Amino acid sequence: MSLLGMFWNQTVCLLQHFRGRKNRCYSLAVRAVRRAFVYASKARKAKRRSMRQLWIQRVAAASREQHMKYPALIHNLLKCSVALNRRVLCDLSITEPRSFQSLTALAHARRTEGLRAALGDGAEPPGVFSRITQLQ
Amino acid sequence: MSSFSRSAQQWATFARSWLLIDARMQPPGKIASVCSVRLQGKHKPIYHPLSDIGDHVVVMNTRHIAFSGNKWEQKVYSSHTGYPGSFKQLTAAQMHQKDPTAIIKLAVYGMLPKNLTRRTMMQRLQLFPDDLLPDDILRNLTEELPQPREIPRKLSEYTQEERDAFPMLWTPDFQLSMVVHFLTYRNTTHTHTHLVGWETRASLCNR
Repeated sequence: MSLLGMFWNQTVCLLQHFRGRKNRCYSLAVRAVRRAFVYASKARKAKRRSMRQLWIQRVAAASREQHMKYPALIHNLLKCSVALNRRVLCDLSITEPRSFQSLTALAHARRTEGLRAALGDGAEPPGVFSRITQLQ
Repeated sequence: MSSFSRSAQQWATFARSWLLIDARMQPPGKIASVCSVRLQGKHKPIYHPLSDIGDHVVVMNTRHIAFSGNKWEQKVYSSHTGYPGSFKQLTAAQMHQKDPTAIIKLAVYGMLPKNLTRRTMMQRLQLFPDDLLPDDILRNLTEELPQPREIPRKLSEYTQEERDAFPMLWTPDFQLSMVVHFLTYRNTTHTHTHLVGWETRASLCNR
């Protein structure tokens, strides 16, 4: 069992697509494989970031279709204690447009109530959305 | 829409539509930001930077855009071909004189993401200086986008009843009544900045 043989047996599927002598010659291949593993580890963390960025962009586009902005939507859904995350909101906006429309309507109603309460005289607001619930 | 078959729904979702926007008396930056959003496809919930799902955008009346402030004289477009002595600086007015579509084109080019897809998106942007559009583009248009800026009415467009109904802030002296009448009605609209259209500027310069 030579170490050289072990190396090639384990990594030949990984470095078949490398450019130049990195896919054939041991010294170059070792370095290339180590770099590839490092990039893969960094990318696993960056993938979560880029997926969240994409979800946010999609939810923002869908909410603008419903005449609402993304920060207003998220903040008002939070205030209504609707704990849907961005991934679910993105999927709803693509596959369940009517449900997403109702969520934007909910956020819009909560927003108008909040603005009325802030600009008004501090009286009990007439709506149902803004009554503070005791969260367990 | 839900009664479509799956392939028809897919076709409708991923179709590339042709959008029209009228740039008459609009700030070119606002027009450009609207165009760049639609060209990238960021107005669609199925957006992805690699998907190439942007729409076509047709802008008409680019000759009649309106810069705010003194930008016609102060905004400078610089270019350098790389050869010595070829640094050119043109004011926005000179640029517009040479090519009435150049201002919006440069604005949109600067607002798109700086990658290889930018050139394809610019190919999908059609600019026309007046409202004369070719037949093949007219046939493709599906939707007109609302104008980003509400155009305020000129004093001549107000009826006499509206002018009389406008509240007088103080009773003027009879000697100065004509001057004050004009001054009170000049700020009828609630615009924060006075936008200068191309014709207004031309008439002011030629006076």
